[in-house]
Amino acid sequence: MNINAISILGIVMIVISACVPKYEGPYESSIGDTNPERFLMIGGTFSSGYTDDALFRFGQENSIGAFIHQSMNSVVSSPFHQPLINEGSVGLSTNGLSRLILGYKTDCLNETSLSPVRETALGDASILNNIYNDSHFNNMSIPNLRSGEFFNTDYSNQNPFFSRMASSQSSSVMDDLNSLDATFFSVFLGLDDFMPYIKSGAKNDSLPDIIAFESNYRLILENLTSNGAKGVISTIPDITSAPYFTTVGWDDLVLDSANNATLNNIYNPLEFYFVEGNNPFMIEDPSANAFGVRPIEEEELILLSVPLDSVKCYKMGTIFPFRNEFILTQNELQNIRAHLNSINDIIRSLAIEFELGLVESETFFDKIQSEFPYNGINLSTTFVSGGAYGLDGIRFNPRTNALFANEFIKSINQKYAASFPMINATNLDAAFFP
Amino acid sequence: MRKIFSFSTLLLALLTCEITYTQGYQVNFQGQKQQGMGLAGTAIFLDGSSLFFNPGSVAFSNENSINIAVTPISGNTLYVDAETEQVYRSNSPIGTPFSAYGLFQLKDHAKLKLGIAAYTPFGSTVSYEDNWIGRFALTKLQLKAIFIQPTFSYRIADVIGIGGGFIISTGNVVLEKDIPVQFSDGEFASASLSGSALGFGFNLGIHYDLTKKLSAGLTYRSKIEMSVEDGDASFDVPESLDPNFPDNTFSGALPLPQVLTLGLAYKASEHLTFVLDVNRVGWIAYDTLAFDYAVNTSSLEDTKSPRMYESTFAFRTGASYDFEKGLSLRLGGGFGFSPVQNGYITPETPDNDRWYGTAGIGYVFGDHFSMDATFYYTQMSRTGNNIETGLNGQFDTKAVAGGIGIIYKW
Repeated sequence: MNINAISILGIVMIVISACVPKYEGPYESSIGDTNPERFLMIGGTFSSGYTDDALFRFGQENSIGAFIHQSMNSVVSSPFHQPLINEGSVGLSTNGLSRLILGYKTDCLNETSLSPVRETALGDASILNNIYNDSHFNNMSIPNLRSGEFFNTDYSNQNPFFSRMASSQSSSVMDDLNSLDATFFSVFLGLDDFMPYIKSGAKNDSLPDIIAFESNYRLILENLTSNGAKGVISTIPDITSAPYFTTVGWDDLVLDSANNATLNNIYNPLEFYFVEGNNPFMIEDPSANAFGVRPIEEEELILLSVPLDSVKCYKMGTIFPFRNEFILTQNELQNIRAHLNSINDIIRSLAIEFELGLVESETFFDKIQSEFPYNGINLSTTFVSGGAYGLDGIRFNPRTNALFANEFIKSINQKYAASFPMINATNLDAAFFP
Repeated sequence: MRKIFSFSTLLLALLTCEITYTQGYQVNFQGQKQQGMGLAGTAIFLDGSSLFFNPGSVAFSNENSINIAVTPISGNTLYVDAETEQVYRSNSPIGTPFSAYGLFQLKDHAKLKLGIAAYTPFGSTVSYEDNWIGRFALTKLQLKAIFIQPTFSYRIADVIGIGGGFIISTGNVVLEKDIPVQFSDGEFASASLSGSALGFGFNLGIHYDLTKKLSAGLTYRSKIEMSVEDGDASFDVPESLDPNFPDNTFSGALPLPQVLTLGLAYKASEHLTFVLDVNRVGWIAYDTLAFDYAVNTSSLEDTKSPRMYESTFAFRTGASYDFEKGLSLRLGGGFGFSPVQNGYITPETPDNDRWYGTAGIGYVFGDHFSMDATFYYTQMSRTGNNIETGLNGQFDTKAVAGGIGIIYKW
């Protein structure tokens, strides 16, 4: 019996030690052929941390560059100084407003619903005070920065988001980039070259000049690589898949019998016919007919900049067709996309020319558009509830910034035989609901 | 008595480990003697537990008995996310599958035996650490099902016994997961679905003594559809989303699959017995986990999660050696195929093909009492993804169980 008891106690010991699976790791990370000592992120609005239509600290701390750095930093420790805004600041939009938060809004029909609203009436202009203070910034992503403005020594007078971080009033963005002497860089540049045109419904500004874009981008890369630094660059995504361009549907005009009759009375002479139920909105199009109006077509886009109260209560989009600034027509979209393709081809060939890693950003944007599950989170382009974009409907939220950063990390790992870990985006923030 | 003390030490040791371990969500601990012999014993009458293993072999019993056993099972799953290589662990409580059998013979009808069985052939509790990477797929699943089975068994010939039992199954299920929307303080919302389930089925068996030494058994346990009606769906969400996630009721069903078993038993000598069971488990019945909410909203639609289980085989074998003085030692093992296909791996059953080993000991105290105790161990690793949730990684699971049972017979 004694032997029995001892043997059983022996089993108990084995049981206790055998019960917990051992982790075979740790993960073997490696910097490969990279030198992550001084990492530099370069870009425009999208990677500056600007989201919820403002630059504010939370967005900066969860910016694309911050996540790429977080991964690299976990392997080799390095600094990542950002031109951070104070905690608690409501931030500042490019129009001088505060950031958007989710709140309640009462519309012209007296219906109150959850909606992005400005946190305060005015933005925090104090963030524009210069904070350079002899510290080189590792995130040189600047709201509205275009490829043609890197060598502009007057740029700090033209873009207050640069002047707040510029080393001097007369320094160019490139001057300040160079002073960091980066050993590794990541570039997400060019979206701002398109953005003013796209966001104004192809009314303001114009598409970037392809030849100038190429020479500017090449010059930037020559500067960045002159010290032997390596890096990764990204193509420009087709931003028209973002909720800002897709939330108001082309046929979201729902007519009851009275309104149906009214619109048919007005438009039947032009041979436009309406039915009860869903109909296409009416838009202005000078080339359509003598009256310059027509129904919007299925592939065409209505921007979230449309005054929704005017649509709901004051016949906008019906008796008063949507103006050019609120829509992207088939022709405009074709132009934008063809142009985007040309410029992305340039970026691809530059990646080869400079032997850099390349991120095909459109692949990632397409994934969101086709709704993909990430660890039980279904990400989509649906406004707010899709969980991918910020409250401005154009920029990503922290969760998606991290997933996008993972695309950069994958490209770095592949190009430079490195193995930097991916960021876990599961617990990162999306929208906060009241 | 020292032995009993040792075994209670063993049970205490098991409490330090975690998670219930199952194949699919099937739990195969219904008899201590069979558990000692690799979970096999369909072709031999061993004790009241044969009411479960083969109602037909019960006809060969020659006793009245009461049999109670419990098999605390403990396991631990480690998950390594493929993309981030981050590591997470389950923190499931210990599971306690039990069985209780009453077996009675009638004085005037020597060929007829009656019995009542209660056992827990399916069920588990799986939970994972806070904030784990799969929190939006699952944080906790608790599944309990108790089968009550009144049974008759009749010896239709010297060498043939048949038996059958009607099964009433009651159970409850609790499923919890986080929802990827956040409160204003950043906390994530969560959902909890719970409900009680009821199902009916049967257990049929036939036992045939082929020769004096060799016997065969064939059993069929029917599929039981565990249906939840008016389950409770509650959502902890930000106030502004209350209209999107109304507290609610749901209905759903979980199939407990049919099991067809062919068993052989061979008495090599007066002391030595070999057993072999082959199970065919109809897991194909579990193709979808569906929740039908009484109130749907744009955020709360009915869900249909593909599970796509495949029917599987399991092979179980073991031996028992009975010493002169009432002591028996048992040893066994087996191999089970996983019903879970690639692309459908879930945190609630991170299952794979696996080997397992068992050992057991039995002792008879005088004319009325006997005790049996067992040990079970398995481990497995499953790498793959889930198409629906996008979860992709490796689950490593180890599980041990120690069982103890007591029988009083007269």
